[in-house]
Amino acid sequence: MKSLADELFSDFREHSVSEFFRRNAAMLGYTGKIRSLTTIVHEGVTNAIDAAEEAGILPKITVMIKRVNDEPEHFRIIIEDNASGIPEQYLPDVFGKMLAGTKLHRAMQQRGQQGIGISGCVMFGQITSGKPATVVTSTGKGEAVRVDVMIDVDKNQGKIINKEKFKENWRGTRVEIEAKEVVYMRSRYGPFNYLRMTAIANPHARITFVEPDGTLTIFENATDKIPERPKPMPLHPWGIMSDDLLILAKRTKARTISGLLSTELSRVSKAKADEVCRLANVSPEKKPSELTWEEAEKIISAFKQVKLLAPPTSGLRPIGAAELENGMRQILNPEFVYTLTRPPKVYRGGLPFIVEVGIAYGGNAGKTLESRGENEGAEGEAGMDLIRFANRAPLIFDQGGCAITAAARSIDWRRYGVDINNAPLTLFVNISSAYVPYTSAGKQSIADEPEIVNEIRTAIMEAARELKKFLYRRLRAKERQERAGIFEKFLPVVARKAARLAGVEEPDIKPLLKKIAGVDHD
Amino acid sequence: MTKEATSLEIKHRKKALQALAELGRKIVEDIRNAQPPKLKIPSRSTSNIIYDRKNRYFVLGPRYGIRSAGSMKQIKKVAQLLCTADFARELIESGKFATLREMYYTAEGWEVGPFHDQGESDAIIEDLEATFGLKRESLGLTPEEDGAAVFGQIVFREGDVTIDATKAGRGGYTIPPTIDDVEFVKCRAKRIIAVETMGMYHRLIQEEAWKKFDALIVGLKGQAARATRRFLKRANEELGLPVYLNCDGDPFGYHIGMVIISGSANLAYINHELAVPDAKYIGVTASDIINYKLPTDKLRELDIVRLKQLLKDPRYNTEFWQYEIKKMLEIGRKAEQQAFAKYGLAYVVNDYLPAKLKEVEGKEFLGKG
Repeated sequence: MKSLADELFSDFREHSVSEFFRRNAAMLGYTGKIRSLTTIVHEGVTNAIDAAEEAGILPKITVMIKRVNDEPEHFRIIIEDNASGIPEQYLPDVFGKMLAGTKLHRAMQQRGQQGIGISGCVMFGQITSGKPATVVTSTGKGEAVRVDVMIDVDKNQGKIINKEKFKENWRGTRVEIEAKEVVYMRSRYGPFNYLRMTAIANPHARITFVEPDGTLTIFENATDKIPERPKPMPLHPWGIMSDDLLILAKRTKARTISGLLSTELSRVSKAKADEVCRLANVSPEKKPSELTWEEAEKIISAFKQVKLLAPPTSGLRPIGAAELENGMRQILNPEFVYTLTRPPKVYRGGLPFIVEVGIAYGGNAGKTLESRGENEGAEGEAGMDLIRFANRAPLIFDQGGCAITAAARSIDWRRYGVDINNAPLTLFVNISSAYVPYTSAGKQSIADEPEIVNEIRTAIMEAARELKKFLYRRLRAKERQERAGIFEKFLPVVARKAARLAGVEEPDIKPLLKKIAGVDHD
Repeated sequence: MTKEATSLEIKHRKKALQALAELGRKIVEDIRNAQPPKLKIPSRSTSNIIYDRKNRYFVLGPRYGIRSAGSMKQIKKVAQLLCTADFARELIESGKFATLREMYYTAEGWEVGPFHDQGESDAIIEDLEATFGLKRESLGLTPEEDGAAVFGQIVFREGDVTIDATKAGRGGYTIPPTIDDVEFVKCRAKRIIAVETMGMYHRLIQEEAWKKFDALIVGLKGQAARATRRFLKRANEELGLPVYLNCDGDPFGYHIGMVIISGSANLAYINHELAVPDAKYIGVTASDIINYKLPTDKLRELDIVRLKQLLKDPRYNTEFWQYEIKKMLEIGRKAEQQAFAKYGLAYVVNDYLPAKLKEVEGKEFLGKG
């Protein structure tokens, strides 16, 4: 007899994921005309950086957005990287098949996690413009291939429409997507801000951006150090849900449930796997492919009753305080920067994460973007600019519901001498984890986990204390300067007049000036 | 002023220039030693104004304010004070005088910036006066107004001009702000009678009171100017002339007399140059009002308040004053100097003054009293 879960799961398998996407485009970030464009850029750039890092190459990425036929809501988005290129046979799957990436089955702390990303872009372009995506790629052996890819929505398969090979001394991948119903704006939510934020969090990446009006901006890399590769790690039982377990069950090479649990999951020994199966009342010898939704749920809850070692923190790859500082200095050119990387912490009893915070003051820090560019004439915003990141990827939307926003707002900034409505201040917060608790599949805000909120709060306060010291020193320096100015103005008068009264030669004021005003004249 | 300086002028200038040079030397020395120059300026706040019972006038107490060139808040004031001092030096050296107002406008051109108002520049001049114990007139600075007039047998020399105060016109000799540089060449008068109003002054001249009493008649023109007070002080000290004061018989008349005797609180820092503690107030008193049955006015509310203030004022803490003040309050009436005209214009000279002078000097005048 088939259980309800069996039916559910068979549904899950038979339904085209692409079809699912098409119906739920909004959930994946394709909502609103500005946001949809930013999402395409995000997916492309994320893939590009990941690919370069994976190949041990300093990412050099070019993003171009061009208007098509002078139509206001019709654009061609071109994203090019210098990574290792994609072997021809993988092209249909990479760009045309959902959940086909190299990421899902590994608990790696990477920007993308689900493997929906770039194929989602292809899908969005296809739905709105009816045009295929064009991909040019070369693995650097003197030959390149250009293909037009479309997605067969029913079969969840990529379809190559045109293919062309040519000689080219170049390595990398170039994706071109044509989309309608998108709008380009240089606003907080637009691609420019997205790339600027990306550059801050990825100081090793060099990003070139050409806007529709031809404006060229280069975000130079601030470091030549390629971040250490995150180690692929098996998922930890505390961080997975029933459907994750089911997906693992479909992919595993293990022949039993017990084997599935002990080989595919972290910190689960054979004995522990058997114990969990016993608690869940699931046969450890059952074939993984026969695992039901119901059984998966029972196993997940059984894991909560046994003692497990927490996931290792060794896989966490924060940006690093020094690199982050480089990034913030490069992009914001501030008077003051303080960055910090907190030690790893856990939430939900053991899921590791690391919080990083950076504060930049002065220069181009603060909410200045709106007062430039296309919104010229509009009232420029001022004050603190909170920029949020998860695994270095900018979180641009859903700011209000995010744990980072809540933590930043919970701080009494006046205590640190900061008027957040006017201060030229950029507050950077990045959460690194293989298990970032997003509030939705749009992955734009972090769930309100108390340990995470507290940790962010602590980190922000630590940075704010340093800012307070800087502001105090700056104030003192200003006072000193004013002080020096006053003495420099009046002391010579005092000396000259006194000398004339006494009928003697004017005394040298320099030693006294140095003493009372700290002024050193050469 | 004339180009030829009198020996008196030279003496005064030397004294002022020495004080200024001393100030300059001290500051130059401090700067050479990399020490912030500090000025010790006697405090002129009311809490530091003390009535000196021995000398019978107001003096400054022992408190000092420090103006340091090492203080961000004070260095501008120090610079302004030195600019003023140097301006004074230029004035003294060239033998010129400037009014306080001119000094205020001169400061417009200084690099230490203009003063906000004349009060500010006047305050700096007072700082200098208090610091040196020198009058502003000694620093080449004068008030706007001249002193009052004097008539009688005295000869003055201003530079190379000699003036006989009986031959200076009906109005007499006008006391200049620079009275300190005026030499007393000759004096045959034996006493000074200073009167509050110019009406009474001219009455005394017409009736030849100066001749009758061997007196210099001084018209105060109300509250006496600094120059007038300085003249009375000098005449009292240098010529040994007793000073008699005759003012209206009301609290304000009393006080015009008292300021000449004991000085004012405002000028406590310079009273040693101005007060005439031995000057005598001879009238009009409350007793005079009764004894001479003078025509009177009712005391106004302000008069009563003022009289009550005087009762508590240390300068009035003598039997004579306490009695006269209380008497006036008791009768509730006041009378002007010129009320004696009730008995004829000459009455004041022929009857009243001889009686009063007899009281203070114990001898007969004009065979009366």
